[in-house]
Amino acid sequence: MTGPAGRAFDRLLVAALLLAGWQGASAAWGEYWASGPLPAAAAFWRLVASGSLPTNALYTLEATAWGFAIGLPPGILLPFLLRRHPRIRAVLDPFMVAAYGVPKLALAPLFIVWFGIGIGSKVALVASVTFFIVYFNAMAGVAAVDRRLIATVRVMGAGEWRVLTDVVWPASVPFVFAGIRTATPYAVGGTVVTELISSNRGLGHLIQLSANRFQTNEVFAALFGVLILVIGCNLAVQAVERRLLRWRPPVFAASGAAG
Amino acid sequence: MTAPHHAPMALLEVRDLGKRFDAAGGGDAPWVIRGMGFAVADGEFLTVVGPSGSGKTTLLNMIAQTDHPTEGEVFLRGERILHAGAPRLNPGWNRQIGYVTQEDNLLPWRSALDNVLYALRLVGADDAAGRERARDLMAAVGLAGFEDYYPHQLSGGMRKRASLARTLVYDPPVILMDEPFGALDAETKAILQHDLMTVWASKRKTIVFVTHDITEAIALGDRTLVVSRAPARVTLDQANDLPRPRRAEDVIVHPAFPPLYERVRAAIR
Ligand SMILES: Nc1ncnc2c1ncn2[C@@H]1O[C@H](COP(=O)(O)OP(=O)(O)OP(=O)(O)O)[C@@H](O)[C@H]1O
Ligand SMILES: [Mg+2]
Repeated sequence: MTGPAGRAFDRLLVAALLLAGWQGASAAWGEYWASGPLPAAAAFWRLVASGSLPTNALYTLEATAWGFAIGLPPGILLPFLLRRHPRIRAVLDPFMVAAYGVPKLALAPLFIVWFGIGIGSKVALVASVTFFIVYFNAMAGVAAVDRRLIATVRVMGAGEWRVLTDVVWPASVPFVFAGIRTATPYAVGGTVVTELISSNRGLGHLIQLSANRFQTNEVFAALFGVLILVIGCNLAVQAVERRLLRWRPPVFAASGAAG
Repeated sequence: MTAPHHAPMALLEVRDLGKRFDAAGGGDAPWVIRGMGFAVADGEFLTVVGPSGSGKTTLLNMIAQTDHPTEGEVFLRGERILHAGAPRLNPGWNRQIGYVTQEDNLLPWRSALDNVLYALRLVGADDAAGRERARDLMAAVGLAGFEDYYPHQLSGGMRKRASLARTLVYDPPVILMDEPFGALDAETKAILQHDLMTVWASKRKTIVFVTHDITEAIALGDRTLVVSRAPARVTLDQANDLPRPRRAEDVIVHPAFPPLYERVRAAIR
């Protein structure tokens, strides 16, 4: 089989194999430790029906969205502002690289100390994760703009602002989105880990609570919720990206720039 | 006054232009262009031929002010618009100099029509009349029906024609063209040459046209310059005294054509 239908079939096959493997592992080690597809699914529906999973997922989503909203704009805009200031960029560069290199998850305890166990610490962590990933991607995009295109629009009378909006920005959008796509799972993960460490709400809190009570099924159900959240965020990002990048030949749109 | 001596008064003049790029491994870079000088009269069609890599594109880049000269000056209507060491360039000199570059350089994220409209949009002239004009020009270069195509959906030759239309649309008095018909088949090339002659004759544009095709250079140009291998300078400045209006098919059977062709061919070494 070929085409989208064939691919969907192949994917279902892989999913079935993975579930079978899980079932086998749970049979080998016992359901108490490894759970299993069926009890985990039952726990999932139980948590959905009780409203616990949706409420906590929404809380995690909210924290992630705020983190994105705060980290994304400066991550995108700073490279554009620095385009014409290579000196400032050169001075900042080692600091940015160093800050990027710090594992952000290791900062979670610090953020909790600074911003409390509420939403603030999650937002701060997600913002710091997304800012750096998007900053370096957008910077690569701005640097990769075809200078001949800039020269061409200048000859036609375009000023600095038009160069920015009509050439540099559209040329960088694929890079910005590569950054956003890379950042998405880290962002959700950042929220969840911060919730794990200290929180009274969110999917991370649910995982922690269930594990403490040795409710392995519930842990898997909550992990499944995280998975759905990441996939949902990815689909949303892809939809926006597809709209903005209609001009691109499909071969690029499919693979995308490297993160 | 800086006007040159020959009449009619030169619209565009290049004086003693020289260019060397920064050497890749340090040290002294070779001169790509040196001691280049010529004048183009108002409404004149000047063609330029020369070996590949001789610096023709580099020359046009400097006239269009997308690159700095190392030596020399450029004048437009007697006013010095560029000189070596100028602190900043003014590409296109306030839309007075249009440039059809060797690569099409269309904006990949704009449709063909939006690319052709771009120069009008920059000055808010993309109204109904402007759109009409853009569509007419696209039809004239054989792109009717492809208005909504993105550049990657067009062939190389079609992109080249779109890039020609987007410069003609805003009507700059001087137009530089770098091998605009290089990638086209003989038939399309003949049609576009004819259309360009029509535009030129009706608008009295001043055109500097780089080509590798000697026949094209003689058929289109009032004058043909031959530039040497690097460092490029003018080695032949020939008036093509052939009757107008011309068509490439008629020009090649004209008795005056063979000696003109032979002199250009001999000068390109
Ligand atoms: N940005 C650059 N840096 C260094 N050298 C350059 C640069 N641009 C052009 N050159 C050199 O200048 C010389 C002339 O190049 P140019 O593109 O002007 O040639 P051309 O006459 O237009 O050739 P063609 O007919 O093949 O288009 C070449 O030797 C080229 O290597
Ligand atoms: Mg060239």
